[in-house]
Amino acid sequence: MVPHHLWTWFASTRVGRSIFRVGPPHSNLERSQAMVSSLLLHVQPAKVNRHALKASYSLGLGLISLYLFFILIGTGTLLMFYYVPSTTQAYDRMKDLQFVVSAGLFVRNMHRWAAHLMVAAVMLHMCRVFYTGAYKAPREFNWLVGVGLFLTTLGLSFTGYLLPWDQLAFWAITVGTNIAGYAPIVGPKLKYLMLGGNTVGQEALTRFYALHVIVLPAIGGLGVAIHMWRVRKDGGLSRPDEPVSVAESLPLAQLPTNKSYGLMELARGTTPQVGRDPDDEVFSWPSLIFRELVLFLVVVAFVLFLAIFWNAPLEELANTIHPPNPAKAPWYFLGLQELVSYSAFWGGVAVPALIVTALVVLPYLDRGREGVGVWFARERRVATTVFSVCVAVAIALTVVGTMFRGPNWGWVVPWRTPPPAMEGH
Amino acid sequence: MNDTSLQKFYGWFSVLAILVGVLAGVGYYRDEYRPWKDYQKRFIAEEVRRAPSPDQKLQAARTPLQIRQILLPELNRVDRCTTCHLAVEDPTYGGFPQPLAYHPQHDQHPFDKFGCTVCHRGQGRATTADDAHGSVEHWDQPMLPLKFIEASCGQCHEASDNPAAPRLARGSQLFETVGCRGCHKLGGVGGVVGPELDRVGARRSPDWLRAHFLEPAAVTPGSGMPPQKFSEPDVEAIVLFMLSQTGAELPGFYASMKVLPSAAQGQHLFQQKGCIGCHSLGGQGGKVGPALDDVGLRRKPEWIVQHFRDPQTVSPGTVMPRFGFTEAEARALTDFLLHQREQKVALSLPSLMGPVERGREVFRKYGCVGCHGPEGKGGVPNPNAKTAQQVPALTYVADGYTKPEVVKLILNGQHEIAALDPARPAPPLYMPAWGSTIKEGEIDDLVAYLFSLKPKGEDLGF
Repeated sequence: MVPHHLWTWFASTRVGRSIFRVGPPHSNLERSQAMVSSLLLHVQPAKVNRHALKASYSLGLGLISLYLFFILIGTGTLLMFYYVPSTTQAYDRMKDLQFVVSAGLFVRNMHRWAAHLMVAAVMLHMCRVFYTGAYKAPREFNWLVGVGLFLTTLGLSFTGYLLPWDQLAFWAITVGTNIAGYAPIVGPKLKYLMLGGNTVGQEALTRFYALHVIVLPAIGGLGVAIHMWRVRKDGGLSRPDEPVSVAESLPLAQLPTNKSYGLMELARGTTPQVGRDPDDEVFSWPSLIFRELVLFLVVVAFVLFLAIFWNAPLEELANTIHPPNPAKAPWYFLGLQELVSYSAFWGGVAVPALIVTALVVLPYLDRGREGVGVWFARERRVATTVFSVCVAVAIALTVVGTMFRGPNWGWVVPWRTPPPAMEGH
Repeated sequence: MNDTSLQKFYGWFSVLAILVGVLAGVGYYRDEYRPWKDYQKRFIAEEVRRAPSPDQKLQAARTPLQIRQILLPELNRVDRCTTCHLAVEDPTYGGFPQPLAYHPQHDQHPFDKFGCTVCHRGQGRATTADDAHGSVEHWDQPMLPLKFIEASCGQCHEASDNPAAPRLARGSQLFETVGCRGCHKLGGVGGVVGPELDRVGARRSPDWLRAHFLEPAAVTPGSGMPPQKFSEPDVEAIVLFMLSQTGAELPGFYASMKVLPSAAQGQHLFQQKGCIGCHSLGGQGGKVGPALDDVGLRRKPEWIVQHFRDPQTVSPGTVMPRFGFTEAEARALTDFLLHQREQKVALSLPSLMGPVERGREVFRKYGCVGCHGPEGKGGVPNPNAKTAQQVPALTYVADGYTKPEVVKLILNGQHEIAALDPARPAPPLYMPAWGSTIKEGEIDDLVAYLFSLKPKGEDLGF
């Protein structure tokens, strides 16, 4: 293949060698070195278990979330060059992005769709981890980090939602922060803290902007680093218990100091195993790295595709006295808004508090060792069923809130559009 | 890991890299191709064709394709209309097909000072025809149809006396004579039976307004507004006047235009705000503040304007309150006072008329005629009202009520209108309370007028 030859040729040139330190790896030693001698690659282990490479197991959802995060940082930085967090200018800047800035709308589209996709990917990632029992010991803490990242992702999306300062943004944030305000005692204070006032205005925009571009990305970035670090330290991706290998039964021993690759092997015992690698591992270069690259290209291509054919919404300039009817929160909060329409206490307080509490205590309550690393393990039938029912209810509420609710939160049938009321334009 | 499985990855890389490249290319092309470039090319081609010498042809051909815009920071607008409408200022393009047509009659409103959208509306920042012309979803300011363009004059110029906008003036006149203010507030004056109209021109489309005047209940179910029997030109005129009510507060330079044609607005304000309570003109009025006949001789115009904006800043310790006049109002009042210096003519202040004449003026001013009919003769439908399903006539008020009773009725209103059939919806029209709007002197004049309505030859009772 041509790319292969090109790459081999470039890596062997003077310049190529100066960049990569190790040329195209031919031996296992060089494959290990390829990983550890690169700052970007050494975050990952030199060797990885075959089980972790199975797309049918992980679905790549964690990586997809990470790639979307990268895309969001890149496109978000570009948008920052034009955006002004001011109630009098923000909306005009959106219009300028659309009409005069080169690729402005395209970049905004990418940012918008990647953001929605990331919320969805993170949620699906959590489902995958639950269904495969991957949060069980020794990975309980990493599940907690994951819960934190999930909340950070929601926070990033929610704060970003306000920034265009159009009707959609203004009223979604008004509804969303009102939901937060229903919490007893702390609710109104929390709402005031978020908005810097009692209603959405310049103070809220300033706060959401600072949170969106600095605070939450920093927390997210740090969280991702901890999350990935713990994936390695907790023994890589979760997998079913294996029969204890010969190597496993040997005591940990001091590795010979003259073997530079010893650090990467993370092998028990004194020597690398001949024939069968410890823990059935393969070299990350290229087995892991190349798969990751393919997935990255797929994610980028998909976001580009969405950005070409669907424009990010932009409604009328925010009008603080004329709410759209109905005013809806962002889609991931519509399940809660649907609940709020029945009971402010349940939708605004009890259910979100229950969800977060349940997610936090889950790995410490569910201490059984069975079923780790297997989708829908027989031994975990009860847990799987309970979780599935919760997810199904959440999806149902969200779908109802998104598609079946119209003016005054009354029922509408999405495929039958009501006759438009004769309004001024 | 052997090299055959690597081959598989390189294949995937190639396919996906090409896919990403193609998608990025499509995205770039869609962004790079913009219809305005075609219009600019057409314009440049025409310029090249017209250029007399090869040198000038070359010069014209080198015109870069670029966004053209008029920045109007004072109006908080950016008008990019000239990106496509390139020849608006070039008379040699008269009669050219759009978008390259010349815009006639713009010498008094230079584009670099006014832009386009302040008169034509639409979306100035947009650079595609549909978006710019504003008939798109999520943009509530579509272009004003040309036949209603006079409405825009009313944003800066006085509507009632503008010879350049006769239909606007007609609309304004209709508004004040058919009694719209009886139910609707405009500029803070009017009843509360119907909605305020200060921003109606920004909220409603011409079609909506037209339909609403002819058959209100057809577009606003349950509306009690009586259908208006206007002639065709009058419908257009009143719609046009409504469209001029956008509530836009134009700043500085633009607002100053408003007082240029008229001291009449100043006089109107002078009366409306009750200046005469403290100040006198022509010997009539209060003594709390100084007489104003020669204020134009004593003070500079800038002083007077500033005094209207905030009296304390130029006259520390003065008892004159800060009225919160708009810039236009302050200038109109100043204009009116300066006219006193020049003319020294007796103005037809209400105080110079008799109580019945003044009362008729009050009856007209607050739009009583809208419901009670011309000269209080009634005849306006009020479905399901016990009084023959009509708003009662006022001709015989003098017989049924004492003066204090009428005053009380006007000040407090009558919100409960007895229904003919309790099962049907309540009568939509009711008598609003005028206590907070009408002034003390006005109410007495109004009552005097109402009592004068009783046909001649019958006992007036006072």
